[in-house]
Amino acid sequence: MDRLRVELSDRDLVQRCQAGQIEAFQDLVSRYHQKVYMVILGMVHNREDALEIAQETFFRAYRRINSFQGESSFYTWLYRIAVNIAIDLQRRQKRNPLDFREDMDSIVEEQGGVGRDPFSDAHDRELREKLVAAINELTPEHKAVIVLRTIEGLSYKDIGEILGCSEGTVMSRLHYARRKLQAKLRAFL
Amino acid sequence: MIDCKSASESLSAWLDGELRGSEAEAVGAHLDVCRQCAEQRRQMESLQAALKSALELQASSLRFEPFWRQVQERITEKRTWSAAMMDFMHSALAAPRLAWAIPVVIVALLGALSIVPAWRASRNSFASVESIDPYGRNVAVLRENETKTTVIWLYQNPEGENEPSSEAADSSSPSF
Repeated sequence: MDRLRVELSDRDLVQRCQAGQIEAFQDLVSRYHQKVYMVILGMVHNREDALEIAQETFFRAYRRINSFQGESSFYTWLYRIAVNIAIDLQRRQKRNPLDFREDMDSIVEEQGGVGRDPFSDAHDRELREKLVAAINELTPEHKAVIVLRTIEGLSYKDIGEILGCSEGTVMSRLHYARRKLQAKLRAFL
Repeated sequence: MIDCKSASESLSAWLDGELRGSEAEAVGAHLDVCRQCAEQRRQMESLQAALKSALELQASSLRFEPFWRQVQERITEKRTWSAAMMDFMHSALAAPRLAWAIPVVIVALLGALSIVPAWRASRNSFASVESIDPYGRNVAVLRENETKTTVIWLYQNPEGENEPSSEAADSSSPSF
């Protein structure tokens, strides 16, 4: 007879992890690895760097799990680690924006099926290229707010906690980033 | 009714559901009647959807098993003492645990303030008079260890001024 698998909350998993159960941490990684990867990829625009940072994020989270007191949610804490590493990398390493374009093209080719590619026609492909170029012109902090909001739909409060700034700053950064992207992409939207 | 400028400035927050009450209602009412601002809203939503699709597409290629193996390898690999120290510092200095650090810093500062004057005094005592002339009154040699300085005083002993000694006459003025 199959055992019913109970979905534990993040808090329960963190507590088990703090007690030394690595299986609990594995469950947390399983739960958040794609989202963390997406957030980082939206900021660094290079798959290899994004993968490296995502793995480093979980490694650091595991090592520091005992310092997590539960004042914020686990994912807020996790994203804070990820975003800080990504911002730090971007400040140290100014990559060529073309890297992301080449990356994106290769991914679409790997995916194969036209139906899986939201940018499958020429218009969408052009939009994607322009979108990437426009995002690359944003500062790491502006990239972070727009990616966190877009992917997770996080509240301004949560984004502020992750980035260590006020809700008002999040609001103004989002407004600025969107207007800038919109101005660059108006002809494609 | 708010104007286009106000609506445009609030549009981003309105789309995110971050406006409340009358402010949100005012933006909504403006969008219902202003085609230009409604178009702004459509473009912003389209932009959001395009970015989300692009990132979701890429993330869908990430497989859990190889990802977890890499993370697990990092966790289990032998770590350098400096990395372990950094983790300890990070854990110890986490905001909720900083409470203990404040009295420790104060005690350390007070300790340093009490030790420094005593230490300085002990350093200054390293100067000493090492030799006196055979008569014990006309020559003094001071050796100061900190600056490696030696000072020789030749002076006329006030008590010997009236003595008709040749040594006293030779050292009537200080020389260095």
